[in-house]
Amino acid sequence: MSYAELCATSNFTFLTGASHPEELVLRAAELGLAAIAITDRNSLAGVVRAYSALKTLATEQGAQQAEGLRIRSSTQIDASSRQATGDAQNLPVTKGLTLPKLIVGARLVLRDSAADWLALPTDRAAYQRLSRLLTLGKGRAAKGECHLDLADVLAGAQGMILIALPHRNLPHANLTQAARDVTRMQRQFPGHVFWGAAPRYDGTDQAHLTQCAAFALRTSAPMVALGDVLMHHANRRQLADVLTCLREGTTIDEIGTRALPNAERRLKPFTDMARLFRHHPAALRRTLEIAARCSFSLAELSYEYPDAEGAEAPQARLERLTAEGMARRCPLGIPPRYHQLAAKELSVVKDLGFAAYFLTVHDIVAFARGRGILCQGRGSAGNSILCWALGITDVNPDQIGMVFERFISRYRGEPPDIDVDFEHERREEVIQWIYARYGRHRAGLCATVIHFRSRAAIREVGKVMGLSQDVTAALSGQIWGLSGGGADPARVRELGLDPADRRLAQTLRLIAEIIGFPRHLSQHVGGFIVTRGRLDELCPIENAAMEGRTVIEWDKDDIDALGILKIDILSLGMLTCLRKSFDLLQQHNHQTLTLDTVPQEDEATYQMLQRADAVGVFQVESRAQMNFLPRMKPATFYDLVIEVAIVRPGPIQGGMVKPYIRRRQGLEAPEPFGPALSDVTRKTLGVPLFQEQAMQIAVVGAGYTPEEADKLRRSLASFRRMGTIGAHKDRFIKGMLANGYPHSTAEQCFSQIEGFAEYGFPESHAAAFAMLTYVSSWIKCHHPAVFACALLNSQPMGFYAPAQIVRDVRDHGIEVRPICTNHSDWDNRLERRADGALALRLGFRQIKGFRAEDAGWIVAARGNGYPDPESLWLRAGLTPAVLERLAEADAFATMGLTRRDGLWAVRAIRAPAPLPLFANPLDGEGINEPAVTLPPMHLGEEVVEDYISLRLTLRAHPMELLRPGIPGITPNDRLATAPLGRISVCGLVITRQRPGTASGVIFLTLEDETGVANVVVWPKLYERYRRAVMGGRLLRVTGRLEREGIVSHVIAERIEDLSPRLSELGHPLDAAIGITQPQADDAPRPPRSRAAPSARHPREQAKKLFPSRDFH
Amino acid sequence: MFDGIHKRVVSVWLPRLASDRALRVRAVDAAFALTLREGNTDRLYCLNAAAESVGLQRGMRFADARAFCPDLISQPARPELDARFLAALRQWAQRYCPWVAVDGSDGLVMDITGAAHLWGGEGALLDDLRARATRAGLSVRLGLADTRGAAWALAHYREGTAALGASQSALGALPVAALRLNKDVTIALQRLGLRTVGALATAARAPLARRFGREVLLRLDQALGDVPDPIAAPPDAPHYGLRLTLPDPIGLVSDVTAATERLLTRLCAKLHAQSMGARRLSLVLRRVDRGCLEVDLRLAAAMNDPARILPLFDRGITGLDAGFGIDQIRLVASVVEPLAPLQISHTVPARTGQLEDLITRLGTRIGLDNIQRFLPADSHIPERSFLVAPAAYSTAQGHWHSPRPRPLRLFAPEPINSTGSTPPRHFRWRRMALTAARITGPERIAPEWWLEDENWGRGLRDYWRVETHQGRRLWLFYTPQNPGWFVQGEFA
Repeated sequence: MSYAELCATSNFTFLTGASHPEELVLRAAELGLAAIAITDRNSLAGVVRAYSALKTLATEQGAQQAEGLRIRSSTQIDASSRQATGDAQNLPVTKGLTLPKLIVGARLVLRDSAADWLALPTDRAAYQRLSRLLTLGKGRAAKGECHLDLADVLAGAQGMILIALPHRNLPHANLTQAARDVTRMQRQFPGHVFWGAAPRYDGTDQAHLTQCAAFALRTSAPMVALGDVLMHHANRRQLADVLTCLREGTTIDEIGTRALPNAERRLKPFTDMARLFRHHPAALRRTLEIAARCSFSLAELSYEYPDAEGAEAPQARLERLTAEGMARRCPLGIPPRYHQLAAKELSVVKDLGFAAYFLTVHDIVAFARGRGILCQGRGSAGNSILCWALGITDVNPDQIGMVFERFISRYRGEPPDIDVDFEHERREEVIQWIYARYGRHRAGLCATVIHFRSRAAIREVGKVMGLSQDVTAALSGQIWGLSGGGADPARVRELGLDPADRRLAQTLRLIAEIIGFPRHLSQHVGGFIVTRGRLDELCPIENAAMEGRTVIEWDKDDIDALGILKIDILSLGMLTCLRKSFDLLQQHNHQTLTLDTVPQEDEATYQMLQRADAVGVFQVESRAQMNFLPRMKPATFYDLVIEVAIVRPGPIQGGMVKPYIRRRQGLEAPEPFGPALSDVTRKTLGVPLFQEQAMQIAVVGAGYTPEEADKLRRSLASFRRMGTIGAHKDRFIKGMLANGYPHSTAEQCFSQIEGFAEYGFPESHAAAFAMLTYVSSWIKCHHPAVFACALLNSQPMGFYAPAQIVRDVRDHGIEVRPICTNHSDWDNRLERRADGALALRLGFRQIKGFRAEDAGWIVAARGNGYPDPESLWLRAGLTPAVLERLAEADAFATMGLTRRDGLWAVRAIRAPAPLPLFANPLDGEGINEPAVTLPPMHLGEEVVEDYISLRLTLRAHPMELLRPGIPGITPNDRLATAPLGRISVCGLVITRQRPGTASGVIFLTLEDETGVANVVVWPKLYERYRRAVMGGRLLRVTGRLEREGIVSHVIAERIEDLSPRLSELGHPLDAAIGITQPQADDAPRPPRSRAAPSARHPREQAKKLFPSRDFH
Repeated sequence: MFDGIHKRVVSVWLPRLASDRALRVRAVDAAFALTLREGNTDRLYCLNAAAESVGLQRGMRFADARAFCPDLISQPARPELDARFLAALRQWAQRYCPWVAVDGSDGLVMDITGAAHLWGGEGALLDDLRARATRAGLSVRLGLADTRGAAWALAHYREGTAALGASQSALGALPVAALRLNKDVTIALQRLGLRTVGALATAARAPLARRFGREVLLRLDQALGDVPDPIAAPPDAPHYGLRLTLPDPIGLVSDVTAATERLLTRLCAKLHAQSMGARRLSLVLRRVDRGCLEVDLRLAAAMNDPARILPLFDRGITGLDAGFGIDQIRLVASVVEPLAPLQISHTVPARTGQLEDLITRLGTRIGLDNIQRFLPADSHIPERSFLVAPAAYSTAQGHWHSPRPRPLRLFAPEPINSTGSTPPRHFRWRRMALTAARITGPERIAPEWWLEDENWGRGLRDYWRVETHQGRRLWLFYTPQNPGWFVQGEFA
């Protein structure tokens, strides 16, 4: 005799359920239940996880070695490498379990019923109706909610088992009301309606069951036993209470009777249920009958890709388009190798029936091209000859070595993966086109489950448990930079807290427990699901928080698990920049270029990159990359592919960079691991860098089948933790020995793959990125003005702020002209100089807080130009606030007004309470007022004002003005030639970084008027100069100068925060007057040493004036 | 031109009022800051000198401050308490002069015209003020000038004293922010290069007024004394006390009662007129031999009806020893509360106040604090599902709602001798042999895991209701984790 649990709430009923679906399924198996239904509140979000868990359990039962059941919510996927990272929780699995049957269902909480309704579809049709029902309810409500009424259920619940679960603690009258609902339902769906009874251990169980039996008899809805489960194990009661607190916004000390009185809402074995239902054995038996009737399984969801319109079969159309594309791509004749590759790919696509998928991507890309939106595909299937021929990607097959197994695996049973990047400013057009073309019932975005990560967990659980904000801040401060693990007891002790304290120990345990819990659903960055049939019959669709977006309830992994195809419609700022560059080239040079017609393998471009002249260039502009470029000396496209892939946390941590560089520089011979493997590793000089290579090493070296190799790649992530490494290692080394490799080589190979586990990067991604790197550097190299203009017009994007971009373009000899009401547009634009060169005219978009609409009015009403600010007000209809912004930006200079005069003139327009006489002036009929002579602005003030308004200046770098007052510092441009040894540099902080790979080392970039200096701060020194490093805007760093190639570093030994000096720029007179700031202490001080760290400009702190990019 | 008495105004600025107040409660010898939640971020609200010296500032994000200074000690700010504290300081400062007003959220302004000589001159007055404030742990900055505006400017921007008639020269070099202008105007003036009060004072007035409105000029004129800027000290709190001096001493209870009634009637009339009610009254009787008798009356509710209050004095008055007689009587309502007049209506029964009278009557005998009432509390744990509160200082709360039946009497668990997880048929309790007739349950209650409660050391409990043949209906529980049976309550 057994029992089936028909009501289990997982933690996908957010902030209510206290167990992962995986845990519920595993516990049900351990208890020997016949079936378990995952019934979340108005949601199907958790069912796929339970389904996958059950599948894993089934394979584990058959496998020789149990790897454990991974809780999917506990892992994170690294966006760039597509590998799972973080501390996955794996549940240990014992052998010999009988697996329960999974029943998919939902708990319908209706607005007008006294009972909740468990809806368990019996077949696929009923599932589809349930999904549509939920979609209906979600469509009416805002994100995360669902408004359903009894009438909706009556209209659309055919084929579902409906179990009424009357709310407990109801007065008798409401139970009668519930009975009325049950009767109505029973009349509509005879034989499908049941009366659910759940024991609670509250002293009234038997009475309650008797009452339920009576009502069941009266309504002729048979009684069925339920557990109304909230957790898989009794020890989750504490977490359930914490979740209640979070949901209700209260603390644990004030939770009162909202807490669970006991832990009885857990999964129970048959014996317990039998004891509780000893007087109603039929109710228990009925669970099995219902479980037997629910024959629907998620495996039945056959997913159909939308066909292209027209009579042509998808495969035929794909073949035709491929042939046409190849002919277009290779006007000089198609090499036979291409033919072979294409034929091979086409046959796989045909076998697996993915033709329609490729066609859909093709259609989307074709639409974007038609609208002039730049796009580029990437992903494992993205860099195939098919995609190249279809125009989805511009990386041709010769540029990288393609690994066919990575394209689509016949064995993997996994859909192909193509991401398409679009211009970030115009992606929404593509998205809305997809909605319009396929309809909202057929297209939807994927969800992303937002989980509790340690920071949020500490903050929220800490608050619930009544820890003071100091303690929670200190706790999360201790885990700065980490996001996977919880709090470490040793570090807690370092904070002066006692981990043995009961409350604290409980809190820490609960924090660890809640990490990985789902919190809410959000929308995926761009994963689209498109179906042939109705999407809302596949999965409920809900409104996203963003206007005009609809999202399905499942995330990317759920979709993968069910074999549903998705297309990632992503946005990339660099594509916007490139498109704008191409437009500008067209406009000013009459040169028509696209991504694939940019001249390839251009010598000058690579030389520029070798000089690390890469501000603004895609992917290689970061400090680490710029550092690496001169050592790497890229000379060909594949070098860029490697460059993009190698300078990332993984390879740096894995120690791949050093050997690679040594080999590249010829200091060390490449280690190809024998002739057979040399084909695989030659390109990267024997350093395995890409996931494809790891697979090939396994295949070629250790004799894996492609299928096994792929499995190896996937299990790499869980390698170390699970101790399954031994088995793989044996297998691998035996394989290599059998192929005649020495044992040492085998060991070495394996350790490299092992180290590789957490960061392997797909070559196809690297290639796609490298393509954009090349194109952007080509434009920068040959058309620096165009590139800078496009880059500024695409902000915000990239690594550098406009100030650095402007500075860089001026260093390249391009004139930059200031913003001017009579010449500027909203966008920055290029002006032809008398000598034929292009100059960059800054646009109104650089002014902080300026709106494009106002810029439009200025341009539209400009005519022959504006003579004075008042004419702007009267003709362009600008509000005084906008005029003031223009004055602040010194945009009236061509009218002969200084910034201060401009402000004075504008101020008269924008009087807060206009005096009656001045209220309605006519054009040109000004009022004669006494002339006021305002003191002229000091250059320092002008610079500060420029920074306030534009965040950049064309006048002088602040350091230039301050330098005379700071003796003994070396300008940054001399660092390359200065003798090694002790040196002082000084500059504005433009970036601070603490890479996770550098064990606490902080990298600062200081900028002065001559260039930038890279400063390395060791952790010990950081502790001493913490405040200066964290908060200083202007630093003087004294330390050792080191040089490697052309890259110089200053290893800091002493750091001084000179930020107060910046206030001297803005207030040149303050020091002379000797004002004591209110912030200063009451002791009168000599004015010079007024080292108030508040380098405050009246409006803002220096912090905002001289922005830096910190720890992003 | 002004030719009356020259005004002298002291501006007292307490720059760290909030943190000083918090540190007076619990001193901290390290960087300390108060935080206030603004929108969604915690920001520093006020900090002590140690925190300022490591470079923290007001308005900084708390998270940033933590990163700057990891051992910063912090507390959430309580602006309402700060305001109360400032009001108390204002009263204290009336020791120097009668005209003291609160100035903003962190300052006082005092009109010391004609009061300074009592303290030995202006300098001595300021020294005394500063010394006392410093001893109380307050950091204080003082400014003294002819006008309120000038004194404020000096306190905030250059601590010191402006001699009589020297406001203009003292202010000339101060920044325009010293004129109590709002922040936007200050910034705008600075950007135009008008950085100091002196520069502003010499600028053409008409264009300034056109651009900045009349506010700027008004503040300037106020600071320079051209426009009056009076200090409005709030009125003193009303005093509810009356005195009766008798030509001849009295000694009879009835006489004292009659005298008390005369006072009480007048006092209650005053209370009534101001919609107040007395919560505590004291009757002070002075005897001819200079002895003093005091009758203290604490009322269970605010009252202003003499007919109801007078009988409550009976007990106090009768026990007095009048000695050679009483010749002066004072009646003071030392604690008063607002008591709004009641709407008379047909539907709502008038408040009789009989229970309050009873509580007061009993309270005069056994002490008001000893009369307690039960209030419901929110917990599953039976011992914690009620509170006991003094009856006079709490109000009865709604109805007692419990989803599960609870016994009328609850006592400390008393063990009984039994085994097994179902209630025993026969058991002995309090030397009675009992036989169970009807059993319902179990109700399982697990301990509140977030609290450590030694009463619940035996783990979770299964409660049963047991009706016995002997007529008692008991509440038993069993502790399955540490087997044992107990009786904890009895139903009516």
